Amino acid sequence: MRIPRIVITGVGFVTSIGNDRAGVTTSLRDLNTGIERFDMLPGTDLPVKVAGTIKDFDTTAIQWAAWRWPKGYKFPQETLRGMPPHGLYALCAIEQANADSGLTSSEIASEETSLFCASAGSPRLLRYYANQLHDSKGERVSPMSIVSSIAGTLNFNLGAYLGIKGAVAGFSSACASTTQAIGYACDEIALGRQRRVLVVGGEDVNFDSLMPFSGMRALSRQSDPVLASRPFDVGRDGFVGTGGAVALWLEAAETAQARGATIYAELLGWGQSADGTSVAQSDPDGRGLALAMHRALRAAKVAPQDVSYVNAHATSTQAGDISEARALRSIFANSGASPAISSTKALTGHGLSLSGVMETAFCAVCLAEGFVPGAANLREVDPACEGLNLPRTSLPSAPRIVVKNSSGFGGSNVSLVLARWES
Amino acid sequence: MITPAVAKQRSAESLNGFPPTVVSAYLAFAERGDPVDLDIVVLGVLQFYIVKKPGTPLIALPGSTRLVEDLGCDSLTMMDTVFMVESLLDVKLDDAELPKLKTLDDLRNYLRQLVVLTAVS
Repeated sequence: MRIPRIVITGVGFVTSIGNDRAGVTTSLRDLNTGIERFDMLPGTDLPVKVAGTIKDFDTTAIQWAAWRWPKGYKFPQETLRGMPPHGLYALCAIEQANADSGLTSSEIASEETSLFCASAGSPRLLRYYANQLHDSKGERVSPMSIVSSIAGTLNFNLGAYLGIKGAVAGFSSACASTTQAIGYACDEIALGRQRRVLVVGGEDVNFDSLMPFSGMRALSRQSDPVLASRPFDVGRDGFVGTGGAVALWLEAAETAQARGATIYAELLGWGQSADGTSVAQSDPDGRGLALAMHRALRAAKVAPQDVSYVNAHATSTQAGDISEARALRSIFANSGASPAISSTKALTGHGLSLSGVMETAFCAVCLAEGFVPGAANLREVDPACEGLNLPRTSLPSAPRIVVKNSSGFGGSNVSLVLARWES
Repeated sequence: MITPAVAKQRSAESLNGFPPTVVSAYLAFAERGDPVDLDIVVLGVLQFYIVKKPGTPLIALPGSTRLVEDLGCDSLTMMDTVFMVESLLDVKLDDAELPKLKTLDDLRNYLRQLVVLTAVS
């Protein structure tokens, strides 16, 4: 049986560094940060001062009817009523991705199209509705409380909105979720079960979604937005939270070519592994992530020397970045390879379960546009992270093969291998 | 009956994004207790949650207008409406009564009676 080639045919962005492809491309190329001062709980002096904020949206109200979003998007009320804030971002990202892909609504709402999603749910709405129940002694809670707040809210809402009939699934492996979703989407297409899969990730950006990470001392306490997220830098002190939504269409190449679609990149293969060590901290030696990369490269039939760029998972935490640096050295340096490496979380902040699809879409843009984003905010490389090729500025050279890494709580590691499209 | 101070607080929290006519009728009802204002609130909330909006405000439609057949109310629309009305007015709609509410008049009259009974009790 011939295994179909799999390609990316559409992307849509609502991110801290841009709310469309053009804006995101400029930010990635010019290393424009999306991180800014963010007063998450007015009237207090929180130890966490910055976040990767979403511009031109206002989702501060609990009631969706009071939300504001950029002109040009129109969504039905029956869809909005069950949505969390990141559901609104997702609707906008999907509208862009659908238009970008050129897919018709009947192709999307077919039995050969699937939807894979991930988000943490909406902690703010969960808290609000739990309070409603407590305050009313169990008498009263919004009928939309469950579908708008729990993990799975994106699949529930978007599957119905788009009329998806192939399959709808949610992924819950924390910060590896949407990378894993992309991997399994590839398998679905490769096995001939689906012609295309829409992968969507989203997260709220507010006190309730971000501050719980403060309990693990995982968040940066820097107040300067350009110093706060510094992957691989000796001065890093934790990650900066962000949210938003990104949508990405994966499609069998044959199907995409038959309908004349514009192709961003090819997904050559993927691999995953588990650390089996800690609920939260990465394996200090990077063994798990190295295994995921090894498996991805093997599946893609690519040698480490052929890789031009690695979009690292590196979130700017002390332990996580060192773990990934060791994994990268074991795969590349030990093979004499020296791909350019950067973590675009320096610009965006860490999008949690959104980050995988967001950064894969960034890679797709870089492959299509022909540049490599530099390692922003990096001033002095942590000695423990030395031996990596970390360009301080973006490179105008077109990458041919790109590796995208993600790691999540519980030791989930996922790597994707993407390539510039050559028909 | 809810007090004007409570109504002011709840309208800011729960009616954010609702039409100003609904908000002002709610505050007026808390102030004066006029059932005409109550009707505007109840039907305004229902109108807000109806997916396919009728061309005419519900308050101006005949009382015999049917909720499901004429207005296309689905179960989620009704549950959203019930939840909001309960939250605003501190009343508890009887689950057994809900299926009996077939028209705008049924809904309007039931709420008028319920609010009075709740206030008395």
